[in-house]
Amino acid sequence: MSRSPSPQPGGWSSPGLNTPYDNGGQTSPFIPNGSSPHNVTWASAQARSAEVKGYPGFTPRSQGFFGKHFRRISTSLPFNHGEKEKLGRGRSQGSKIMQILSRIGRNMWRLRKWLGLIVIGIIGFVIWNVALRRMYNRASWLGGGSKYVVILAANQGGGVMEWKGPREWAIERDSVKNKRKYTKHWGYELEIVDMSTKKRYAHEWRESWEKVDTIRNAMRKYPHAEWFWWLDTNTFIMEPTYSLQKHIFKRLQDVTYRDINIYNPLNITHPLTDEYLDPETRSAVGDGKVDSVNMLIPQDCGGFNLGSFMVRRSVWTDRLLDIWWDPVGYEQKHMEWEHKEQDAFEYMYQNQPWIRPHVAFIQQRQIMSFPPGACGEKGDDPNIHYQERERDFLVNMAGCEWGRDCWAEMYNYRQLSNRLNRSYWEKFKDAISDFFKKKTKKSEKKKEKKN
Amino acid sequence: MHFAMPPRKTSRPPPYAGRNQSKMAIPPALKNLVRTRARLILGGIVGLFTLLWLLGGTGSSGSSMSASKVGGWKAADIPKVAVGSGPPVVIVTVMNPKADPGWTAKIKSNREDYAKRHGYQTFFPQNDQYPLRNAPPSWSRVPAIRHAMTLHPGSTFFWYLDSTALIMTPAVPIHTHLLSPAKLESFMITNAPVVPPDSVIKTFSNLKGDRIDFVVTQDKDGLAPSSFVIRNGEWAKFFLDSWFDPIYRSYNFQKAESHALEHIVQWHGTILAKLAMVPQNLLNAYASGPASEKDGAFKEGDLVANFPGCDKDERNCAKEQEAYWAILEQAKN
Repeated sequence: MSRSPSPQPGGWSSPGLNTPYDNGGQTSPFIPNGSSPHNVTWASAQARSAEVKGYPGFTPRSQGFFGKHFRRISTSLPFNHGEKEKLGRGRSQGSKIMQILSRIGRNMWRLRKWLGLIVIGIIGFVIWNVALRRMYNRASWLGGGSKYVVILAANQGGGVMEWKGPREWAIERDSVKNKRKYTKHWGYELEIVDMSTKKRYAHEWRESWEKVDTIRNAMRKYPHAEWFWWLDTNTFIMEPTYSLQKHIFKRLQDVTYRDINIYNPLNITHPLTDEYLDPETRSAVGDGKVDSVNMLIPQDCGGFNLGSFMVRRSVWTDRLLDIWWDPVGYEQKHMEWEHKEQDAFEYMYQNQPWIRPHVAFIQQRQIMSFPPGACGEKGDDPNIHYQERERDFLVNMAGCEWGRDCWAEMYNYRQLSNRLNRSYWEKFKDAISDFFKKKTKKSEKKKEKKN
Repeated sequence: MHFAMPPRKTSRPPPYAGRNQSKMAIPPALKNLVRTRARLILGGIVGLFTLLWLLGGTGSSGSSMSASKVGGWKAADIPKVAVGSGPPVVIVTVMNPKADPGWTAKIKSNREDYAKRHGYQTFFPQNDQYPLRNAPPSWSRVPAIRHAMTLHPGSTFFWYLDSTALIMTPAVPIHTHLLSPAKLESFMITNAPVVPPDSVIKTFSNLKGDRIDFVVTQDKDGLAPSSFVIRNGEWAKFFLDSWFDPIYRSYNFQKAESHALEHIVQWHGTILAKLAMVPQNLLNAYASGPASEKDGAFKEGDLVANFPGCDKDERNCAKEQEAYWAILEQAKN
């Protein structure tokens, strides 16, 4: 039996220096079996004979880049364990930290396949998160995000009518940022519209009636989009993880009502009963099919609300947008129609029967929760007001410019949204800091008591 | 003394340090499993969390609402009748119940004869049966067409013809001689001012015959809604309802519904895009009154002879139409 070169307490046996004293502790000069004076080991002899025979009985392992250069690379690493000819002679050397490091390194090398998988996984996840998720969400045949356009009205009432102060700028910046993040995540289109009052028409007419024009322009700009979601500036998406598809359109029949009698603050007579109208127009729910819904609009305590509503691209919508503003109606009613398009639409809903079968009312809190102060000071109406526990989708700070503080509301809701949508890691950190805060508070209290 | 070799190991090895006994006892089987399959278990856990995170990122559950439940609507049971399955044309004439009953009966039979000949339908509502809200009774033509569409949902065309007009050449079927897409395309007047002589709004010049939903003529003063054709469909409902808007009815349009029509046609592109203006003598030739100078006056062979306004003031339709009745009687025999 040969002695294969193995590390001995005394280190590697090196040829030539092989003394009888070398076999650690063995005092007799007896040379163990088979060990020739030239120190030819079984392995080296085998290797040489393989060379002579000329067939690859022995294939070098070091073929690839890592095989060739691994030694060089690994020796330059701090936890080198391949280099054994150093002073420590195979004994673990250096501090404890180095030992731990070298053990980690060894284990990592042993688990390299798994590590590689994990690294690939991480890289893949990052790519998914940064680029592919958006593409996935956008693609019309996967996520379908490009079928939705969010139209955000900015600069409302600004322009020639009013100077914007720092608060207004801040509100607008926050609002835009919020929607930009949301649309980017889900792959929707975002169209920010400058609603500053422009004297676009030679006469005074049609001032600040640009909703219609804006939606039409967006329809032209995004010819493949299907739904257009109008949003006022004073809105904040509280739950950016809700997609429109899942939150609204997949359960359209559960979150909307087509029979206005279910919630009818304006006391509109419905359904129509005139015998000259066709049965679909007289039906309370139109034809009751999902694809006949061309407009989704919420109702608050005062009737229709156009602060957040959706229209679908269709010939019906084309006609509605065309007929919405009419000079005769404007001339007769513009003093009375304080809310412009909103009042005009309420009027049309009541008086033009062709509109009813294609409008669905969406439960207000699904698309536009109110803060306290709008529709009731307390803010406790479960049909209208924002409920933190139920994680409402969006807050519309409607009417905050009339005697309420828009910026404060926007700020508070932004903070709340951030807190509600923390990541697990952030929640964990916050929990720890809360824990210590509580402790210090308690001890402070104790101190106070003692004093 | 110098030793070449390290000293021997001590022959009394130190006793093994006792392990820190953990409080939770892990069953040895599990321990073995963890030891032997550590990688697998670790990988599995990591994979599971990654999967959960990914899925959690793309999907989210809708919130359950404390708000009162809405929704739950289902497809309504409304019989759908395909347009085109019924008689091709329905002739609508609104009758004045106060008019001379003999003349009324003659007017009705004039339309019924024509309808019978070509397999059409007729519809004669009264001008006081619709809720007009104090608007002039001439407005009742608008809900009347809507009513006819409700009664005959399978018909394609609805021809409104004033009670002052007579069908003079009953042999000509209107739906093939005027309303087929090819015929319409050849007849319609494009790029012409909607209201003569110089309205800035002109009829579109690139219309296709099969996209036309509204066929109307123009007399000397403007659009003449005393004889026009509407194609059944969603557009017709939109058009009639917006024409019938109470704002227009209460607005002091000088000529009530015809000025309201001119108004919506000029202000709303979705209406103008469906409108075909045809020469007056094809649909609404005037036997008397302000006919279009080019082709408005009635001559033999025209489909319709209209006596606009013959039922108003002191005039007497029956008397004015006498000669024409005679011609019709002659043709019959």
